[in-house]
Amino acid sequence: MDTLKLYFRSMGMLLKSQLQYPASFCMQTFAQLVMEAGEFMAVILVVDRFDRLNQWMAGDLFFFFGIMSVTFYLTEIFGRGITGAFPGMVRSGQLDTLLLRPRGVLTQVLCSAIDPRRISCIAVGTAALVIGSRMAGVRWTAPKALALGEAILLGMLLVLGLFMIEAVFCIYSVKSVELVNAITYGGRSACQYPIDIYPRSLRVLFTVIAPFAMTMHVPAAYILDKPLYGWPAWTAFVCPLAGAAVFAVMYAVFRRAMRHYRSTGS
Amino acid sequence: MNAYLSVFRMRRKMELQYRGAVIGGVICQMFFGLILVSLYRALYAGKPQTTPIEAVVGYVWLQQAFFRMLLASDAELLDKIRTGGIAYDLCRPLNLYGYYYARIMAQKLMGSLLRAAPMLGFACLLPRGMALPPPVSLPAFLVFLVCLALGLLCVCALENITMAFTMRTLDSRGVQAMLNLLMMTFSGNILPLTLFPDSWQKVITALPYAQLLDAPIRIYTGQYALAEAPRVLLVQGIWTLALAGSGVLLWRHNQKRLTVQGG
Repeated sequence: MDTLKLYFRSMGMLLKSQLQYPASFCMQTFAQLVMEAGEFMAVILVVDRFDRLNQWMAGDLFFFFGIMSVTFYLTEIFGRGITGAFPGMVRSGQLDTLLLRPRGVLTQVLCSAIDPRRISCIAVGTAALVIGSRMAGVRWTAPKALALGEAILLGMLLVLGLFMIEAVFCIYSVKSVELVNAITYGGRSACQYPIDIYPRSLRVLFTVIAPFAMTMHVPAAYILDKPLYGWPAWTAFVCPLAGAAVFAVMYAVFRRAMRHYRSTGS
Repeated sequence: MNAYLSVFRMRRKMELQYRGAVIGGVICQMFFGLILVSLYRALYAGKPQTTPIEAVVGYVWLQQAFFRMLLASDAELLDKIRTGGIAYDLCRPLNLYGYYYARIMAQKLMGSLLRAAPMLGFACLLPRGMALPPPVSLPAFLVFLVCLALGLLCVCALENITMAFTMRTLDSRGVQAMLNLLMMTFSGNILPLTLFPDSWQKVITALPYAQLLDAPIRIYTGQYALAEAPRVLLVQGIWTLALAGSGVLLWRHNQKRLTVQGG
Protein backbone atom coordinates (compact mmCIF):
# COMPACT_ATOMS: atom_id res chain seq x y z
CA MET A 1 0.00 0.00 0.00
CA ASP A 2 2.84 2.26 0.94
CA THR A 3 4.48 1.51 -2.39
CA LEU A 4 1.35 2.45 -4.28
CA LYS A 5 1.13 5.75 -2.43
CA LEU A 6 4.73 6.44 -3.30
CA TYR A 7 4.08 5.59 -6.92
CA PHE A 8 1.13 7.93 -7.24
CA ARG A 9 2.96 10.74 -5.53
CA SER A 10 5.87 10.36 -7.92
CA MET A 11 3.50 10.31 -10.86
CA GLY A 12 1.88 13.51 -9.62
CA MET A 13 5.21 15.27 -9.29
CA LEU A 14 6.46 14.10 -12.69
CA LEU A 15 3.21 15.19 -14.29
CA LYS A 16 3.56 18.64 -12.80
CA SER A 17 7.09 18.96 -14.05
CA GLN A 18 6.06 17.89 -17.54
CA LEU A 19 3.31 20.49 -17.61
CA GLN A 20 5.81 23.26 -16.94
CA TYR A 21 6.21 23.70 -20.69
CA PRO A 22 2.62 23.76 -21.83
CA ALA A 23 3.26 24.78 -25.46
CA SER A 24 5.74 22.00 -26.09
CA PHE A 25 3.51 19.54 -24.24
CA CYS A 26 0.44 20.45 -26.31
CA MET A 27 2.36 20.25 -29.54
CA GLN A 28 3.73 16.79 -28.77
CA THR A 29 0.38 15.55 -27.52
CA PHE A 30 -1.13 16.75 -30.76
CA ALA A 31 1.58 14.97 -32.73
CA GLN A 32 0.72 11.73 -30.88
CA LEU A 33 -2.94 12.26 -31.67
CA VAL A 34 -2.20 12.64 -35.36
CA MET A 35 -0.05 9.52 -35.38
CA GLU A 36 -2.59 7.29 -33.66
CA ALA A 37 -5.42 8.74 -35.77
CA GLY A 38 -3.37 7.73 -38.80
CA GLU A 39 -3.22 4.15 -37.51
CA PHE A 40 -6.96 4.16 -36.96
CA MET A 41 -7.51 5.57 -40.45
CA ALA A 42 -5.63 2.61 -41.90
CA VAL A 43 -8.09 0.24 -40.17
CA ILE A 44 -11.02 2.31 -41.45
CA LEU A 45 -9.64 2.18 -45.00
CA VAL A 46 -9.16 -1.58 -44.73
CA VAL A 47 -12.76 -1.98 -43.60
CA ASP A 48 -13.90 0.35 -46.39
CA ARG A 49 -12.27 -1.84 -49.01
CA PHE A 50 -12.82 -5.32 -47.59
CA ASP A 51 -16.03 -4.89 -45.52
CA ARG A 52 -15.08 -7.73 -43.17
CA LEU A 53 -12.41 -10.11 -42.03
CA ASN A 54 -13.77 -13.67 -41.83
CA GLN A 55 -16.59 -13.46 -39.26
CA TRP A 56 -15.46 -10.07 -37.95
CA MET A 57 -17.45 -7.07 -39.15
CA ALA A 58 -16.41 -3.42 -39.17
CA GLY A 59 -17.55 -2.71 -35.59
CA ASP A 60 -15.71 -5.77 -34.26
CA LEU A 61 -12.48 -4.69 -35.93
CA PHE A 62 -12.70 -1.19 -34.48
CA PHE A 63 -13.31 -2.72 -31.06
CA PHE A 64 -10.20 -4.90 -31.33
CA PHE A 65 -8.18 -1.89 -32.45
CA GLY A 66 -9.52 0.16 -29.52
CA ILE A 67 -8.79 -2.39 -26.81
CA MET A 68 -5.20 -2.79 -28.01
CA SER A 69 -4.65 0.92 -28.35
CA VAL A 70 -6.01 1.78 -24.89
CA THR A 71 -4.07 -1.01 -23.19
CA PHE A 72 -0.78 -0.39 -24.94
CA TYR A 73 -0.71 3.35 -24.45
CA LEU A 74 -1.91 3.20 -20.83
CA THR A 75 1.14 1.05 -20.23
CA GLU A 76 3.33 3.58 -22.00
CA ILE A 77 1.99 6.39 -19.83
CA PHE A 78 2.32 4.69 -16.48
CA GLY A 79 5.15 2.27 -17.21
CA ARG A 80 7.36 4.75 -19.03
CA GLY A 81 10.22 3.86 -16.69
CA ILE A 82 10.36 0.37 -18.22
CA THR A 83 9.02 0.96 -21.72
CA GLY A 84 11.23 3.91 -22.52
CA ALA A 85 13.65 5.17 -19.91
CA PHE A 86 15.34 1.99 -18.71
CA PRO A 87 18.10 1.52 -21.33
CA GLY A 88 19.17 5.12 -20.81
CA MET A 89 19.30 4.60 -17.04
CA VAL A 90 21.58 1.59 -17.45
CA ARG A 91 23.83 3.34 -19.94
CA SER A 92 24.21 6.51 -17.91
CA GLY A 93 24.69 4.72 -14.60
CA GLN A 94 21.61 6.38 -13.16
CA LEU A 95 20.38 2.97 -12.09
CA ASP A 96 23.15 2.82 -9.46
CA THR A 97 21.49 5.50 -7.38
CA LEU A 98 18.35 3.40 -7.20
CA LEU A 99 20.29 0.55 -5.63
CA LEU A 100 21.12 2.67 -2.63
CA ARG A 101 17.56 3.44 -1.61
CA PRO A 102 15.43 1.25 0.64
CA ARG A 103 12.87 0.33 -2.05
CA GLY A 104 12.64 -2.26 -4.81
CA VAL A 105 14.47 -1.39 -8.00
CA LEU A 106 11.46 -2.03 -10.21
CA THR A 107 9.26 0.21 -8.06
CA GLN A 108 11.74 3.03 -8.33
CA VAL A 109 12.19 2.57 -12.07
CA LEU A 110 8.43 2.77 -12.50
CA CYS A 111 8.30 5.82 -10.25
CA SER A 112 10.92 7.63 -12.28
CA ALA A 113 9.11 8.41 -15.50
CA ILE A 114 5.71 9.17 -16.96
CA ASP A 115 4.66 9.94 -20.51
CA PRO A 116 1.42 11.92 -20.40
CA ARG A 117 1.58 12.83 -24.11
CA ARG A 118 0.12 9.41 -24.89
CA ILE A 119 -3.19 10.54 -23.47
CA SER A 120 -4.23 11.54 -26.99
CA CYS A 121 -3.54 8.03 -28.27
CA ILE A 122 -5.84 6.72 -25.57
CA ALA A 123 -8.49 9.19 -26.71
CA VAL A 124 -8.32 7.68 -30.19
CA GLY A 125 -8.43 4.17 -28.72
CA THR A 126 -11.43 5.01 -26.56
CA ALA A 127 -13.22 6.52 -29.55
CA ALA A 128 -12.54 3.31 -31.47
CA LEU A 129 -13.92 1.25 -28.57
CA VAL A 130 -17.09 3.34 -28.40
CA ILE A 131 -17.67 3.43 -32.16
CA GLY A 132 -16.86 -0.27 -32.39
CA SER A 133 -19.22 -1.37 -29.64
CA ARG A 134 -22.00 0.83 -31.06
CA MET A 135 -21.58 -0.53 -34.57
CA ALA A 136 -21.38 -4.11 -33.32
CA GLY A 137 -24.51 -3.51 -31.21
CA VAL A 138 -22.93 -4.63 -27.95
CA ARG A 139 -25.42 -4.82 -25.07
CA TRP A 140 -23.39 -3.89 -22.03
CA THR A 141 -23.91 -5.97 -18.90
CA ALA A 142 -21.98 -6.06 -15.65
CA PRO A 143 -19.96 -9.18 -16.57
CA LYS A 144 -19.04 -7.64 -19.93
CA ALA A 145 -17.84 -4.40 -18.34
CA LEU A 146 -15.87 -6.48 -15.86
CA ALA A 147 -14.31 -8.49 -18.71
CA LEU A 148 -13.25 -5.28 -20.46
CA GLY A 149 -11.72 -3.84 -17.31
CA GLU A 150 -9.91 -7.07 -16.58
CA ALA A 151 -8.62 -7.36 -20.13
CA ILE A 152 -7.20 -3.83 -20.08
CA LEU A 153 -5.66 -4.14 -16.63
CA LEU A 154 -4.05 -7.53 -17.21
CA GLY A 155 -3.14 -6.50 -20.74
CA MET A 156 -1.13 -3.67 -19.22
CA LEU A 157 0.74 -6.17 -17.06
CA LEU A 158 1.42 -8.25 -20.17
CA VAL A 159 2.82 -5.31 -22.14
CA LEU A 160 4.90 -4.27 -19.16
CA GLY A 161 6.20 -7.82 -18.83
CA LEU A 162 7.17 -7.94 -22.51
CA PHE A 163 9.02 -4.64 -22.26
CA MET A 164 10.88 -6.09 -19.26
CA ILE A 165 12.46 -8.62 -21.64
CA GLU A 166 14.26 -5.71 -23.25
CA ALA A 167 15.20 -4.37 -19.82
CA VAL A 168 16.72 -7.71 -18.85
CA PHE A 169 18.73 -7.88 -22.06
CA CYS A 170 19.83 -4.36 -21.36
CA ILE A 171 21.13 -5.23 -17.89
CA TYR A 172 23.42 -7.84 -19.42
CA SER A 173 24.49 -6.09 -22.60
CA VAL A 174 24.15 -2.35 -21.75
CA LYS A 175 23.04 -1.75 -25.35
CA SER A 176 19.32 -1.58 -25.92
CA VAL A 177 18.26 -4.55 -28.00
CA GLU A 178 15.83 -3.37 -30.63
CA LEU A 179 15.13 -6.90 -31.71
CA VAL A 180 12.73 -7.20 -28.78
CA ASN A 181 10.60 -4.54 -30.47
CA ALA A 182 9.44 -7.32 -32.75
CA ILE A 183 7.48 -8.78 -29.86
CA THR A 184 6.24 -5.56 -28.24
CA TYR A 185 5.50 -3.22 -31.13
CA GLY A 186 5.12 -6.15 -33.51
CA GLY A 187 2.62 -7.66 -31.12
CA ARG A 188 0.70 -4.44 -30.99
CA SER A 189 0.56 -4.18 -34.79
CA ALA A 190 -0.41 -7.80 -35.28
CA CYS A 191 -2.92 -8.07 -32.46
CA GLN A 192 -4.91 -4.98 -33.26
CA TYR A 193 -6.61 -7.48 -35.55
CA PRO A 194 -8.20 -10.65 -34.11
CA ILE A 195 -5.79 -13.54 -33.72
CA ASP A 196 -7.71 -16.18 -35.67
CA ILE A 197 -6.91 -14.62 -39.06
CA TYR A 198 -3.21 -15.40 -38.78
CA PRO A 199 -1.35 -18.55 -39.84
CA ARG A 200 -0.59 -21.13 -37.18
CA SER A 201 2.93 -20.04 -36.28
CA LEU A 202 1.93 -16.45 -35.55
CA ARG A 203 -1.11 -17.68 -33.65
CA VAL A 204 1.06 -19.83 -31.41
CA LEU A 205 3.48 -16.95 -30.84
CA PHE A 206 0.78 -14.52 -29.76
CA THR A 207 -1.20 -17.07 -27.75
CA VAL A 208 1.53 -18.90 -25.87
CA ILE A 209 4.70 -16.81 -25.83
CA ALA A 210 3.35 -13.26 -25.92
CA PRO A 211 -0.26 -14.03 -25.01
CA PHE A 212 -1.98 -10.95 -26.44
CA ALA A 213 -4.70 -13.25 -27.73
CA MET A 214 -5.38 -14.68 -24.27
CA THR A 215 -5.46 -11.36 -22.42
CA MET A 216 -7.28 -9.22 -24.98
CA HIS A 217 -8.85 -11.19 -27.79
CA VAL A 218 -10.67 -13.82 -25.73
CA PRO A 219 -12.49 -11.23 -23.57
CA ALA A 220 -13.05 -8.89 -26.53
CA ALA A 221 -14.63 -11.70 -28.54
CA TYR A 222 -16.80 -12.57 -25.54
CA ILE A 223 -17.98 -8.95 -25.27
CA LEU A 224 -18.81 -8.96 -28.98
CA ASP A 225 -20.82 -12.21 -28.51
CA LYS A 226 -18.61 -14.03 -31.02
CA PRO A 227 -16.57 -16.28 -28.70
CA LEU A 228 -13.09 -16.98 -30.03
CA TYR A 229 -12.89 -20.63 -31.24
CA GLY A 230 -16.33 -21.07 -29.63
CA TRP A 231 -14.86 -21.15 -26.13
CA PRO A 232 -17.31 -20.88 -23.19
CA ALA A 233 -17.91 -17.57 -21.41
CA TRP A 234 -15.84 -18.32 -18.28
CA THR A 235 -12.68 -18.44 -20.39
CA ALA A 236 -13.06 -14.69 -20.96
CA PHE A 237 -12.32 -14.21 -17.27
CA VAL A 238 -9.64 -16.87 -16.84
CA CYS A 239 -7.52 -16.47 -20.00
CA PRO A 240 -6.43 -12.89 -19.30
CA LEU A 241 -4.57 -14.20 -16.25
CA ALA A 242 -1.91 -15.20 -18.78
CA GLY A 243 -0.92 -11.52 -18.83
CA ALA A 244 -0.33 -11.54 -15.08
CA ALA A 245 1.61 -14.79 -15.44
CA VAL A 246 3.97 -13.23 -17.99
CA PHE A 247 4.52 -10.30 -15.68
CA ALA A 248 5.20 -12.58 -12.72
CA VAL A 249 7.73 -14.61 -14.68
CA MET A 250 9.46 -11.52 -16.00
CA TYR A 251 9.53 -10.02 -12.52
CA ALA A 252 11.39 -13.05 -11.24
CA VAL A 253 13.78 -12.93 -14.20
CA PHE A 254 14.31 -9.22 -13.68
CA ARG A 255 15.26 -9.72 -10.05
CA ARG A 256 17.72 -12.44 -10.98
CA ALA A 257 19.20 -10.23 -13.69
CA MET A 258 19.63 -7.35 -11.27
CA ARG A 259 21.94 -9.54 -9.22
CA HIS A 260 24.24 -9.67 -12.24
CA TYR A 261 24.02 -5.94 -12.79
CA ARG A 262 27.37 -4.30 -13.25
CA SER A 263 27.40 -0.57 -13.38
CA THR A 264 28.76 1.09 -16.49
CA GLY A 265 30.72 3.17 -14.04
CA SER A 266 29.98 6.53 -15.55
CA MET B 1 31.80 18.18 -57.09
CA ASN B 2 34.70 16.25 -55.62
CA ALA B 3 33.99 17.61 -52.18
CA TYR B 4 30.40 16.37 -52.28
CA LEU B 5 31.58 12.98 -53.46
CA SER B 6 33.93 12.65 -50.52
CA VAL B 7 31.19 13.70 -48.11
CA PHE B 8 29.10 10.97 -49.65
CA ARG B 9 31.91 8.44 -49.24
CA MET B 10 32.52 9.35 -45.63
CA ARG B 11 28.89 9.00 -44.66
CA ARG B 12 28.69 5.74 -46.57
CA LYS B 13 31.53 4.32 -44.51
CA MET B 14 29.89 5.49 -41.33
CA GLU B 15 26.65 3.83 -42.24
CA LEU B 16 28.53 0.54 -42.66
CA GLN B 17 29.87 0.69 -39.10
CA TYR B 18 26.81 -0.38 -37.20
CA ARG B 19 26.22 -3.86 -38.55
CA GLY B 20 24.78 -5.23 -35.32
CA ALA B 21 22.01 -2.67 -35.36
CA VAL B 22 21.33 -3.52 -38.99
CA ILE B 23 20.83 -7.21 -38.26
CA GLY B 24 18.38 -6.44 -35.45
CA GLY B 25 16.54 -3.98 -37.64
CA VAL B 26 16.29 -6.39 -40.55
CA ILE B 27 14.87 -9.21 -38.44
CA CYS B 28 12.34 -6.80 -36.96
CA GLN B 29 11.38 -5.61 -40.41
CA MET B 30 10.99 -9.18 -41.68
CA PHE B 31 8.67 -9.94 -38.82
CA PHE B 32 6.53 -6.91 -39.56
CA GLY B 33 6.47 -7.97 -43.22
CA LEU B 34 5.24 -11.44 -42.25
CA ILE B 35 2.47 -10.00 -40.11
CA LEU B 36 1.30 -7.65 -42.86
CA VAL B 37 1.40 -10.32 -45.56
CA SER B 38 -0.66 -12.67 -43.38
CA LEU B 39 -3.15 -9.90 -42.69
CA TYR B 40 -3.65 -9.02 -46.35
CA ARG B 41 -3.93 -12.68 -47.30
CA ALA B 42 -6.69 -13.11 -44.73
CA LEU B 43 -8.45 -10.00 -46.04
CA TYR B 44 -8.17 -11.21 -49.63
CA ALA B 45 -9.54 -14.63 -48.70
CA GLY B 46 -12.80 -12.89 -47.76
CA LYS B 47 -13.10 -10.48 -50.66
CA PRO B 48 -10.69 -10.60 -53.60
CA GLN B 49 -9.90 -7.27 -55.26
CA THR B 50 -8.97 -6.10 -58.72
CA THR B 51 -5.39 -5.69 -57.50
CA PRO B 52 -4.13 -9.31 -57.33
CA ILE B 53 -2.85 -10.56 -53.95
CA GLU B 54 0.61 -11.23 -55.43
CA ALA B 55 0.94 -7.53 -56.19
CA VAL B 56 0.03 -6.63 -52.59
CA VAL B 57 2.48 -9.18 -51.19
CA GLY B 58 5.22 -7.81 -53.44
CA TYR B 59 4.25 -4.30 -52.36
CA VAL B 60 4.62 -5.16 -48.67
CA TRP B 61 8.03 -6.79 -49.08
CA LEU B 62 9.49 -4.02 -51.20
CA GLN B 63 8.15 -1.39 -48.80
CA GLN B 64 9.70 -3.20 -45.85
CA ALA B 65 12.99 -3.68 -47.69
CA PHE B 66 13.41 -0.01 -48.62
CA PHE B 67 11.76 1.32 -45.46
CA ARG B 68 15.00 2.99 -44.46
CA MET B 69 14.73 5.34 -47.42
CA LEU B 70 11.67 6.96 -45.90
CA LEU B 71 13.01 7.29 -42.39
CA ALA B 72 14.33 10.72 -41.41
CA SER B 73 18.02 9.96 -41.22
CA ASP B 74 20.06 12.87 -39.97
CA ALA B 75 19.38 13.16 -36.24
CA GLU B 76 22.85 14.66 -35.89
CA LEU B 77 21.90 17.67 -37.97
CA LEU B 78 18.82 18.33 -35.85
CA ASP B 79 21.05 18.40 -32.79
CA LYS B 80 23.43 20.73 -34.56
CA ILE B 81 20.62 23.11 -35.29
CA ARG B 82 19.47 23.07 -31.68
CA THR B 83 22.92 23.41 -30.13
CA GLY B 84 24.33 25.89 -32.60
CA GLY B 85 26.92 23.45 -33.91
CA ILE B 86 25.68 24.30 -37.36
CA ALA B 87 27.99 27.32 -37.28
CA TYR B 88 30.88 24.97 -38.08
CA ASP B 89 29.12 23.72 -41.17
CA LEU B 90 28.54 27.28 -42.28
CA CYS B 91 32.30 27.82 -42.27
CA ARG B 92 32.86 25.10 -44.87
CA PRO B 93 33.58 26.35 -48.37
CA LEU B 94 30.68 24.31 -49.70
CA ASN B 95 27.15 24.91 -50.73
CA LEU B 96 25.23 23.77 -47.65
CA TYR B 97 22.39 22.34 -49.67
CA GLY B 98 24.75 20.14 -51.65
CA TYR B 99 26.61 19.16 -48.51
CA TYR B 100 23.51 17.92 -46.74
CA TYR B 101 22.09 16.39 -49.88
CA ALA B 102 25.21 14.23 -50.21
CA ARG B 103 25.09 13.22 -46.56
CA ILE B 104 21.43 12.30 -46.61
CA MET B 105 21.79 10.40 -49.85
CA ALA B 106 24.72 8.34 -48.55
CA GLN B 107 22.76 7.39 -45.46
CA LYS B 108 19.61 6.48 -47.29
CA LEU B 109 21.34 4.61 -50.10
CA MET B 110 23.68 2.52 -47.96
CA GLY B 111 21.15 2.11 -45.18
CA SER B 112 18.52 0.72 -47.46
CA LEU B 113 20.82 -1.40 -49.65
CA LEU B 114 22.29 -3.02 -46.57
CA ARG B 115 18.85 -3.90 -45.31
CA ALA B 116 17.17 -4.64 -48.62
CA ALA B 117 19.58 -7.37 -49.72
CA PRO B 118 18.97 -9.79 -46.80
CA MET B 119 15.29 -8.83 -46.59
CA LEU B 120 14.56 -9.57 -50.22
CA GLY B 121 16.63 -12.74 -50.06
CA PHE B 122 14.53 -13.93 -47.13
CA ALA B 123 11.30 -12.85 -48.82
CA CYS B 124 12.14 -14.92 -51.92
CA LEU B 125 12.69 -18.07 -49.86
CA LEU B 126 9.28 -18.03 -48.21
CA PRO B 127 6.62 -20.53 -49.28
CA ARG B 128 4.47 -19.65 -52.27
CA GLY B 129 1.84 -17.05 -51.60
CA MET B 130 3.91 -15.43 -48.87
CA ALA B 131 7.03 -14.91 -50.98
CA LEU B 132 8.07 -11.88 -52.97
CA PRO B 133 6.85 -12.55 -56.52
CA PRO B 134 9.35 -12.01 -59.38
CA PRO B 135 8.99 -8.78 -61.38
CA VAL B 136 6.41 -8.91 -64.17
CA SER B 137 9.09 -8.78 -66.87
CA LEU B 138 12.78 -8.04 -67.32
CA PRO B 139 12.22 -4.61 -68.91
CA ALA B 140 9.85 -3.77 -66.05
CA PHE B 141 12.58 -4.69 -63.59
CA LEU B 142 15.06 -2.39 -65.33
CA VAL B 143 12.56 0.48 -65.31
CA PHE B 144 11.92 -0.31 -61.63
CA LEU B 145 15.62 0.24 -60.87
CA VAL B 146 15.65 3.59 -62.69
CA CYS B 147 12.44 4.58 -60.99
CA LEU B 148 13.81 3.63 -57.57
CA ALA B 149 16.92 5.74 -58.18
CA LEU B 150 14.73 8.71 -59.08
CA GLY B 151 12.70 8.04 -55.95
CA LEU B 152 15.90 8.24 -53.91
CA LEU B 153 16.79 11.62 -55.42
CA CYS B 154 13.27 12.77 -54.68
CA VAL B 155 13.23 11.67 -51.02
CA CYS B 156 16.57 13.35 -50.36
CA ALA B 157 15.23 16.61 -51.77
CA LEU B 158 12.13 16.21 -49.61
CA GLU B 159 14.13 15.65 -46.46
CA ASN B 160 16.29 18.68 -47.15
CA ILE B 161 13.16 20.80 -47.19
CA THR B 162 12.13 19.36 -43.81
CA MET B 163 15.58 20.28 -42.51
CA ALA B 164 15.20 23.81 -43.79
CA PHE B 165 11.95 24.14 -41.86
CA THR B 166 13.60 22.79 -38.72
CA MET B 167 16.19 25.55 -38.95
CA ARG B 168 13.42 28.06 -38.65
CA THR B 169 11.47 26.66 -35.74
CA LEU B 170 14.13 25.02 -33.54
CA ASP B 171 11.73 22.76 -31.67
CA SER B 172 10.18 21.11 -34.61
CA ARG B 173 9.09 17.87 -33.01
CA GLY B 174 5.42 18.64 -33.61
CA VAL B 175 5.88 19.63 -37.23
CA GLN B 176 8.18 16.73 -37.78
CA ALA B 177 5.69 14.24 -36.43
CA MET B 178 3.11 15.62 -38.85
CA LEU B 179 5.46 15.41 -41.81
CA ASN B 180 6.45 11.94 -40.74
CA LEU B 181 2.85 10.80 -40.65
CA LEU B 182 2.20 12.26 -44.10
CA MET B 183 5.27 10.44 -45.34
CA MET B 184 4.35 7.07 -43.82
CA THR B 185 0.71 7.28 -44.90
CA PHE B 186 1.04 8.60 -48.42
CA SER B 187 4.14 6.68 -49.40
CA GLY B 188 2.25 3.47 -48.73
CA ASN B 189 4.07 2.27 -45.63
CA ILE B 190 1.09 2.02 -43.26
CA LEU B 191 -1.24 0.66 -45.94
CA PRO B 192 -0.33 -0.01 -49.59
CA LEU B 193 -1.52 2.90 -51.71
CA THR B 194 -3.12 0.38 -54.05
CA LEU B 195 -5.59 -0.46 -51.26
CA PHE B 196 -6.67 3.13 -50.64
CA PRO B 197 -10.16 3.92 -51.97
CA ASP B 198 -10.23 3.99 -55.77
CA SER B 199 -11.59 7.51 -55.81
CA TRP B 200 -8.46 8.77 -54.01
CA GLN B 201 -5.99 7.14 -56.39
CA LYS B 202 -5.73 10.03 -58.85
CA VAL B 203 -4.80 12.47 -56.10
CA ILE B 204 -2.55 10.32 -53.92
CA THR B 205 -0.47 8.97 -56.80
CA ALA B 206 0.24 12.54 -57.91
CA LEU B 207 1.58 13.57 -54.46
CA PRO B 208 5.35 13.72 -54.04
CA TYR B 209 5.18 10.98 -51.40
CA ALA B 210 3.95 8.48 -53.98
CA GLN B 211 7.05 9.10 -56.09
CA LEU B 212 9.43 7.65 -53.51
CA LEU B 213 8.50 3.99 -53.30
CA ASP B 214 4.97 3.60 -54.56
CA ALA B 215 5.75 4.42 -58.20
CA PRO B 216 8.74 2.02 -58.47
CA ILE B 217 6.85 -0.75 -56.69
CA ARG B 218 3.84 -0.42 -58.97
CA ILE B 219 6.13 -0.82 -61.96
CA TYR B 220 7.71 -3.91 -60.39
CA THR B 221 4.37 -5.56 -59.68
CA GLY B 222 2.86 -4.51 -63.00
CA GLN B 223 0.20 -2.15 -61.63
CA TYR B 224 1.73 0.39 -63.98
CA ALA B 225 2.15 -1.12 -67.45
CA LEU B 226 5.42 -0.55 -69.26
CA ALA B 227 3.68 1.84 -71.68
CA GLU B 228 2.93 4.09 -68.73
CA ALA B 229 6.56 4.13 -67.61
CA PRO B 230 7.56 7.36 -69.44
CA ARG B 231 4.71 9.23 -67.80
CA VAL B 232 5.58 7.87 -64.34
CA LEU B 233 9.23 8.76 -64.77
CA LEU B 234 8.28 12.23 -65.99
CA VAL B 235 6.11 12.90 -62.93
CA GLN B 236 8.93 11.69 -60.69
CA GLY B 237 11.44 13.89 -62.50
CA ILE B 238 9.24 16.97 -62.25
CA TRP B 239 8.70 16.47 -58.52
CA THR B 240 12.41 15.91 -57.92
CA LEU B 241 13.33 19.10 -59.74
CA ALA B 242 10.57 21.09 -58.04
CA LEU B 243 11.49 19.85 -54.56
CA ALA B 244 15.21 20.32 -55.08
CA GLY B 245 14.61 23.79 -56.54
CA SER B 246 12.46 24.97 -53.64
CA GLY B 247 14.90 23.35 -51.22
CA VAL B 248 17.80 25.36 -52.63
CA LEU B 249 15.77 28.55 -52.38
CA LEU B 250 14.71 27.80 -48.79
CA TRP B 251 18.28 27.08 -47.69
CA ARG B 252 19.56 30.22 -49.35
CA HIS B 253 16.88 32.25 -47.63
CA ASN B 254 17.62 30.57 -44.28
CA GLN B 255 21.31 31.28 -44.50
CA LYS B 256 20.62 34.97 -44.89
CA ARG B 257 18.62 35.22 -41.68
CA LEU B 258 20.19 32.51 -39.59
CA THR B 259 20.54 33.03 -35.86
CA VAL B 260 22.99 30.62 -34.33
CA GLN B 261 22.04 29.32 -30.88
CA GLY B 262 24.46 29.34 -28.02
CA GLY B 263 28.20 29.09 -28.31
